[in-house]
Amino acid sequence: MLSVVRAFKAQPRFVLVTTIVLLLGGCASARVEQSRTATTGMTTEESLVILSRASYNERETEESFTDCLSDELRGGKRPIRLMSEAEFKDQLYPWFEPRTAPDSSDDLARLFAQPGVQQRIDENNVRFIAWIDGDTITTDRGGSFSCTVSTVGGGCFGVTYWEEDASYEAAIWDLQNLTTAGEISADASGTSYIAGLVLPIPIMARPGNAACKGLALQLKEFLQSDG
Amino acid sequence: MRSRITVIKGLVGLLTLGLLVSCTTNVQVEGSVPTPLVAKIPANVAIFYDEKFKNFVHTEELDTEGTWNINLGEKNLEFFRNLSNAMFSSVTEVDSPEMTPEQQVQFDGLIIPTIDEYGFLTPNIGVLPFYSVSIRYQVLILNKQNERVAKYEVVGYGKSEGNSFTAGDAVGDATMLAIRDGGQQIAVELRHQPAIIEWLSQRNLD
Repeated sequence: MLSVVRAFKAQPRFVLVTTIVLLLGGCASARVEQSRTATTGMTTEESLVILSRASYNERETEESFTDCLSDELRGGKRPIRLMSEAEFKDQLYPWFEPRTAPDSSDDLARLFAQPGVQQRIDENNVRFIAWIDGDTITTDRGGSFSCTVSTVGGGCFGVTYWEEDASYEAAIWDLQNLTTAGEISADASGTSYIAGLVLPIPIMARPGNAACKGLALQLKEFLQSDG
Repeated sequence: MRSRITVIKGLVGLLTLGLLVSCTTNVQVEGSVPTPLVAKIPANVAIFYDEKFKNFVHTEELDTEGTWNINLGEKNLEFFRNLSNAMFSSVTEVDSPEMTPEQQVQFDGLIIPTIDEYGFLTPNIGVLPFYSVSIRYQVLILNKQNERVAKYEVVGYGKSEGNSFTAGDAVGDATMLAIRDGGQQIAVELRHQPAIIEWLSQRNLD
């Protein structure tokens, strides 16, 4: 605290701007909803695989989102054992490729009839699959912002903003019972700004990150609870 | 004076070389080679990979992005060797697209995979915000008498996220996904082709 006071005395404007940025930054809230259709009670020996649905159009779950989700699930107080998507797909090739991946948990019985599939899943102790679907899109943008450089100096002036909506869903399949255990959805939105006051000052909302953290928290609770 | 001119010429040469190099993107395709979990087709086959298939390099000059050299031969060959070994009871590589009389006795047939076409798109020239790749494969199957049993064609498709700074890696990743996609179709669907079913049943009667 003493160092903050000292810093404020030395550079009051800088500290004020930094404080405002920190206060405004991360202004994105997530709404998380869950529906459960079966009990879970995941043990510490069992593994989860996070898979993103591949599509041939421009809407696809970003790799950064599934990376964030994996990091959140692996960390914290009650970490979840994860098998990576790449390793899982390699081990079960060609049955989880874009053209062959099961569309619903009803297809699991057909998949498990393929030679070696059941054995591979048992060897890796994979109990659950979480299929992630969704993305973050920019819904609005505006403002005016420019930077100039000349022989006597330069700077940035103006304000620009963009609004983003993040919407993701996780469908959780139980590979032990070959059923859908439930679904969790996470939505978040936020507006980011860049203000040019000689120096560019970014104020980022990061709704994708808020949705990731909300979804990860709920997914952990969903899998580890006995309900 | 002469030494100064030599130095200037050298610098101009280096600058030109630097500009040329910066306009060329060399991609070496990398990635894991999974072994397919499929039932083996009960056949002892020979397989022939031609030099183009073994050392496949796609070179293309784009107006906006310079020259691309995409080397997928090595990884593609490794992938197909693994794939064919997992698909058939036994696989032997041969060095001719036609079986000798001795080989006709030894094998049930000959498989010849080829790459017919390779194509890629970058976000600058495509409609999607991804780097995408498609590979058209052809798998020719000959019987013991070197007669054509089937010609099976598949198109493998892959796409990858990336930006201008990681364009080479993104095209490499998309290529690997396209190889996987083509391989998956061959591993799963080839055995269900009517001509293949007939060839296998006919072979049992020979």
